[in-house]
Amino acid sequence: MNLIERLSKLDRRIIFLLVALAVIIPMLVPLNLPVDITKPVKNVYQKIESLPEGSVVLISTDYDPGSEAELYPATEAVIEHCFHKNLKIYMMGLWPAGSELGNVALNQIAQIYNKKYGEDYINVGYRPGGAIMLLSLGRNFADVIKVDYQGVPIDSFPLGKKVKSAKDLGLVMTFSAGDPGILHWIIYFHARYGIPICGATTAIMAPQQYAYLSSGQLVGLLGGLKGAAEYETLVNKKGRGLRGMDAQSIVHLLLVGFIVLGNVILVYQRRKK
Amino acid sequence: MINTLGIWIAAVLTLAIYSFLYKDNPFYKIAENIFVGVSAGYWAVVLWFDFAWPNLFEPLFYRGQWYNIFPVFIGLLMFAPLIPKISWMIRIPLTFTMGISMAVFITQIVQGDIFPQLQATFLPLKDVPAFTIFSNLLIIIGVIFTLIYFYFSKEHKGPLGIFARIGIWFMMVSFGASFGYTIMARVSLFIGRVYFLLHNWLGVI
Repeated sequence: MNLIERLSKLDRRIIFLLVALAVIIPMLVPLNLPVDITKPVKNVYQKIESLPEGSVVLISTDYDPGSEAELYPATEAVIEHCFHKNLKIYMMGLWPAGSELGNVALNQIAQIYNKKYGEDYINVGYRPGGAIMLLSLGRNFADVIKVDYQGVPIDSFPLGKKVKSAKDLGLVMTFSAGDPGILHWIIYFHARYGIPICGATTAIMAPQQYAYLSSGQLVGLLGGLKGAAEYETLVNKKGRGLRGMDAQSIVHLLLVGFIVLGNVILVYQRRKK
Repeated sequence: MINTLGIWIAAVLTLAIYSFLYKDNPFYKIAENIFVGVSAGYWAVVLWFDFAWPNLFEPLFYRGQWYNIFPVFIGLLMFAPLIPKISWMIRIPLTFTMGISMAVFITQIVQGDIFPQLQATFLPLKDVPAFTIFSNLLIIIGVIFTLIYFYFSKEHKGPLGIFARIGIWFMMVSFGASFGYTIMARVSLFIGRVYFLLHNWLGVI
């Protein structure tokens, strides 16, 4: 049995082991491979940079723990950028677990920047209803949001009083892992009320968003962990996104190698027949 | 203490799930069943506290919004097929749902998705840099030929067949990009778990 025949019968668990090593080793011994900044990511950064101090950014954490690995690093980086620019954050979630995850990042980073709950940031928690809720929200926040995530009346907070309708928002930034998510914000909120939308999505969803970037319905996009790593580079944050990029690059090289090898074996076996 | 316990439970369950890659085993089965049970419990709580209680029961019993009884009645009619005599009554909630969906979603999708996307294909082919012309041309050809592929009222032969085939190539490129991003997503999830194990659990990075 020659090498190619042996490889064609390779136990797939060896491939799993190689992929695991390709992730674990670069995480233990970082290579610090460079990260290029793409235009959609730069657009998000520039949009936030362009907002006047005190503007309100609505951050919608539309994901759950299943997508935490991809979207949480981006959530942290964007929150940090907003606080650094002295912007107000109005957080909500179209997914129940999303607002909980967002709250962890929000409270941790708010402490670092000495931001006060209710004045500089607020979390109104999970808001069910998808498209219908977004259509009502843009018209009058009071129709949809009466209390924050702890059940405290929203009007008892300065930031709660300040935001009454879509026109009080400078930007919507959605961290989206599916439905409801970024498409709802574009189709039901941006189209109706004209508020600029930026997004961070899981890598699987990213290709679909390029059509909306191209049409201008979406200002900027952070696609998957790579998008988070690019944003961390822009805000000078050594976070989980950048930490994972070495492993990501090595695994991608390994997988390209497997695809080439698989095709070589296939061609060899066909010719032999 | 609680945090440490949570990290240990998460780490052990993560390893139990990944043990499936070696072969099916009882540890994997336990972790899988815990996941299913916890998810069901979690969603039951969410449905009660975020949907049923604030939108129905609380307004009905504590705010005197008695008219909320009508949507409850319409909702209950979804179970009408269980009683053959009144099974026809399921048409009422279905008609209501379809009417609402058509009114809200169709108008908004046309306004917020179809029209802007169509508008985005009206691209300039002169007085712009050469690369932009090439790029715009590619988008226009891609849209038209892909749409031709989905035109089924005439057999795809002759020029129509050639155009449809070019449309397939454009779609193949799109599928390739999606596949690449899918790999990236799956690897990212694994990176997230490895980071958790090495950082939060073992504390070696």
